[in-house]
Amino acid sequence: MNTPLQREFASRDELIAYLHHEFADIVGDDTDVAPTRGGRQAAVGQLATINPARYTATRNALNGAVTRLSAYIRHGVLSLAEVRDAVWQRVKYPHDAEKLITELAWRDYWQRVYAKIGDGIWQDREPYKTGYAATHYIDELPDDIRTGQTSLACMDAFADELITTGYLHNHARMWLAAYLIHWRQVSWQAGARWFLQHLLDGDPASNNLSWQWVASTFSHKPYFFNKENLARYTNHRFCGDCPLARTCPLDASYEALGQRLFPQMPPQ
Amino acid sequence: MPPILWIHGDCLRPTNPALLAHPDAPAIFVWDDALLQQYHISLKRIVFMYEALLELPVTIYRGDVVAQITQFAQLHQSDTIVTTATPAPRFKAICSQLRRDYTMQVLAEPVFVDIPINTDIKRFSRYWQVAKSRLIP
Repeated sequence: MNTPLQREFASRDELIAYLHHEFADIVGDDTDVAPTRGGRQAAVGQLATINPARYTATRNALNGAVTRLSAYIRHGVLSLAEVRDAVWQRVKYPHDAEKLITELAWRDYWQRVYAKIGDGIWQDREPYKTGYAATHYIDELPDDIRTGQTSLACMDAFADELITTGYLHNHARMWLAAYLIHWRQVSWQAGARWFLQHLLDGDPASNNLSWQWVASTFSHKPYFFNKENLARYTNHRFCGDCPLARTCPLDASYEALGQRLFPQMPPQ
Repeated sequence: MPPILWIHGDCLRPTNPALLAHPDAPAIFVWDDALLQQYHISLKRIVFMYEALLELPVTIYRGDVVAQITQFAQLHQSDTIVTTATPAPRFKAICSQLRRDYTMQVLAEPVFVDIPINTDIKRFSRYWQVAKSRLIP
């Protein structure tokens, strides 16, 4: 039998150096480590900070009161049932719990679909509703996306955050996924693989099925957004310094963008 | 014969049902070489999971999961493996291989919402129609 891996470390740095060496064939020269700590102790500490009422009011904004529990839930460091109970303990009125409970239910739902379809999560559940066949989409993540060099300040910042912290706000995930699929015409699978490599909460079911929701292979229509929507929920933090501010490909009405991105889409 | 516990990456907590049921049983975690090769997860993901493992009473290995668990069971002269359920297809495949030589006990996670097994889950909206009233009074 193989030799057990080490359990005693003098410091987090020593642990990181050890894992970098033991998993060198997998991680290569990747050295980024998330500030988020793993383990039950950290998870319970994070659980104590949740505020379901503020979550309801602010969750769509990048600086909103999101829970940051996803990575702990994904690896079962917290069970979904105990998080549900903690939510109820932390609200005065049932109404304040509803939105967060609904989001926990999404996790439960994806897991149920996973139990049913297994590795089918990697296949298109349905055809794209974008007017394009699946073969239209390229299956490689473009280098400028991977390295955060698209010159779109928002997308480059999201890519950088994904790689250095292993976390992205849900709204940023949706924008980045929609940009990749609908503006750059990259297959959702290529994006999903990239996210799973980096997200601390990377769960094949939640991740892939959410990508399919954006793509329209697991929804009735493609998800897309425009500059105004992104600016609003990011408090306009990206556009000021963006090299592409004058030629922003996201800057149009939903109607104009819909026609530009999906010229062959059948009428609804 | 006392069992061994197989702890996997979908249930890394001290209140894992397998650990709760058998607090003194020897427990193993295996970094699955096949999954590592498939997903090429980044160092930060490995560190995050490893920090959770260091808080659990498990012996940590890397390699072929079935082979490592088999040898761990032999080492402890056990014929029973206790673990916790997860929908991952890789988990099901490993369990069915282990079942050839061992008694497998797969314990359930605490239930989030109790809905009929035949509930339509084609879309979240259909699931939610059934789940909502059971979750939100």
